[in-house]
Amino acid sequence: MKVLRAVVVLAVLVVAAYLAYRYLVQPPGRSADTITVYYCKTDGVTLVAWKVSRDPRMDPNKVAFYATAQALAGPPVSVEAIRFPAGTIVKHVDLSGSTATVDLGGTISRSAGGSFAESGEFRGLIWTLTALPGITAVQIKVDGAKVATLPGGHLELEQPLARSSF
Amino acid sequence: MSSNNPWHVRASRHFPALCAASLALLLPIRSVAAPAPAYWFAGTNLIFTKAQTHGGELAVALDDPSLARFLIKLNATVAYDPGSRLVIVTSGDRRVVTFTLGDTRFENGPLLERAPFAPYAVGATAYIPFVTLAKALYVVPVKDGATTVLQPQIGGLDVRTRDRVTTVTLSSAVPIRFKRTSPGGSERLTLVFSGVASTLETKRSIGGSAELRGVSIQSGGTARNPTTTMTFDATPQTMHVLANSDTPNVIAVAFAKSGVGLSGVPIPDAGDAASVIAAAPRPSSSAPSTESSAGPSDEYAPVGSEVPAEAAIPPPPLGSPVVVTSLDLLPADAALNVRVGVSGPVRYEWHRLTDNRWYVDLKNAMLGIPARDEQPPGSAATGLRVRQLAGDQNPTVRIAFTLVSPRQVNVVASDNGFTIAIGGLDDLEPQRVGTGRVAGGMLIASAPLANPGDLWSTPAAMLHPIVPTNPKLIVIDPGHGGSDAGAAHNGLTEKALNLDISKRLRAILVARGWQVEMTRYTDTDVFAANGSAHDELQARCDIANNAGARMFVSVHINSYTDAALNGTTTYFYKDSDRALADAVHRRLASVGTADKGVRKEEFYVIHHTTMPATLIETAFLSNASDASLLKLPAFLQRVAVAIADGLGDYASRNPVNATSTSDGS
Ligand SMILES: [Zn+2]
Repeated sequence: MKVLRAVVVLAVLVVAAYLAYRYLVQPPGRSADTITVYYCKTDGVTLVAWKVSRDPRMDPNKVAFYATAQALAGPPVSVEAIRFPAGTIVKHVDLSGSTATVDLGGTISRSAGGSFAESGEFRGLIWTLTALPGITAVQIKVDGAKVATLPGGHLELEQPLARSSF
Repeated sequence: MSSNNPWHVRASRHFPALCAASLALLLPIRSVAAPAPAYWFAGTNLIFTKAQTHGGELAVALDDPSLARFLIKLNATVAYDPGSRLVIVTSGDRRVVTFTLGDTRFENGPLLERAPFAPYAVGATAYIPFVTLAKALYVVPVKDGATTVLQPQIGGLDVRTRDRVTTVTLSSAVPIRFKRTSPGGSERLTLVFSGVASTLETKRSIGGSAELRGVSIQSGGTARNPTTTMTFDATPQTMHVLANSDTPNVIAVAFAKSGVGLSGVPIPDAGDAASVIAAAPRPSSSAPSTESSAGPSDEYAPVGSEVPAEAAIPPPPLGSPVVVTSLDLLPADAALNVRVGVSGPVRYEWHRLTDNRWYVDLKNAMLGIPARDEQPPGSAATGLRVRQLAGDQNPTVRIAFTLVSPRQVNVVASDNGFTIAIGGLDDLEPQRVGTGRVAGGMLIASAPLANPGDLWSTPAAMLHPIVPTNPKLIVIDPGHGGSDAGAAHNGLTEKALNLDISKRLRAILVARGWQVEMTRYTDTDVFAANGSAHDELQARCDIANNAGARMFVSVHINSYTDAALNGTTTYFYKDSDRALADAVHRRLASVGTADKGVRKEEFYVIHHTTMPATLIETAFLSNASDASLLKLPAFLQRVAVAIADGLGDYASRNPVNATSTSDGS
């Protein structure tokens, strides 16, 4: 009896240890759990896609917010890309139908950087979000409000932008 | 686990620590509201007022003021969306660290790591593991006696070789400051970074680079005032420059053999990354400009409110203006009627602003009575202003009200003019804009628009039913102006250059027989100082649309944080406008700038103008060689001539009488 109990306890421990191991060490197959983020090269024309990992258990409704934050941060700094002004943050992303409404922090209003930067920045962001399933257009807001353009800006933001806008 | 990010080489990982932290998870977590330990950081003690101790680590609320100060010093930002339960921190060197409420795992760039406890929400804010976050942002706690110092690190070193140039990119927790201790021109480059230590391996040999053999890294100084010395061991005849980066937390040094083109600046004896980023900071477009001619109090600053000082070519006169002969106020309890007498048929356009101001512009009208600025009787409006806008071409009389609330306002025809009827009730879904025409006591035509959104979805023919197309008129839009300076670099301001080129262009076009109107003739806002982008840009479109212009050309100068970019770009938006952009761009090819091509872009003013429209980004004022061109009057004249030639080419290929609606070729 004592031996049987010892075996059962041992078996439970082994199973527990195995499950703990599985839990701690992520299987390497995370490559499927990626999103595609786009940035615009400094030629102002070429869009480049790069992959960013995401937690496979991430709620699909969170992915758009996450993708937006990645697009705002841009690719690694050693890559030449047209980037949003430092300090630009995403406050909310709401999905309604096929349109994602992206609310950006007001910092972006204080640093409109000319038409070249604007078009490169937003093209990358719009391509990133429309790469997610079900999203075809993106409405930009700044501090919760629709804007015609950024202050001193050029690119129209008042209506949803789609890939065909560029 | 190799990084799936091929560009980045990272600091060493701490797998054992991770395991220990993970095991700690299995233990019951106790949250203790104890006085938070103080950290020493950047010269002060960081004392968190919204913090809890959690599983041995500090949980700090996202709205804790000390956390905000910490993140600002690091140039980092945090975005928290309670709806999606994500806390996304972007580091000063542009990496993304993502926490999820209720999950101990977090994303540090491409890596999945584990925190000692899961971030959690209390009310509207979230608590995150502070030390875990600090480490992810390249800040490590270091014991200094009884104090824990949060010590910033150089945490990333990236080496890339491309086109015979090897670029080393260093990423730091804080904005980078350095001194060069090696002599200029020497192959061995030594940089001493102040205020940062380093967690990087002390020796890195670089394989596959003909320019750089290796980098050695040495940390020194004290816990509170660390320094890091980096020595770059370049091969003989290798030059180096500071390459552009777009955040002060990152510095890039490019190495190449002499003779290979290197873009960047010579490495100064001492400097910081921020000064390398751009020759001048981006202008703050929200700050009132000292050059603004219209003060913020002058809310109704009109189109061309000042006669240009050097109006070389007087504009052609329009038909003789009507005269406003009387203005009577007829209050009725909460309502107010304003009866306006005019000498003949008059065209008007009214606007309602979001702050309950309402005004009507009488087109081609002269004020035959004294200007007025008063508080009207009754309780519907608190202000009334009547005045003449001395426009360059279109004398306009503006009657403006400050309403107490979104009151209903109607324009109705009355004997010898019309009456503005301000109702006693609010209009819950007020219209923003409308146009009309009264003659002989009758409202002949009016086009109120259901809502501002219809401003651009309404066909031009409906919006301006009474304006004939003027096939001889070109409208030039000098971009920005007044409170909006546009870009500013290298001692140049976009709004001033736009106006300079536009005036030259106007003179050339007028000499060639065109009628020309400009959206502004001086350094002024077109709609109002510090007005909304919509009002400002729509006002520019309205000028061209109302006048039925044949063509619209908006003149701008580009800028970018990377000073290497240069060249001329010509934009169109409506597909039918490509021919116009092509025609202008073909002529601009000869002005001496790099050709960045013709591009389609949804820029506001070329979208909402109803005639063929193009927007020209003449050159980059952030680029030294483009800037030196922009300082030459001869260059600005060349640009103006090229645009005029292009407009002429287009007009002769697309005669306006061939078809009245289609302008595509
Ligand atoms: Zn501009």
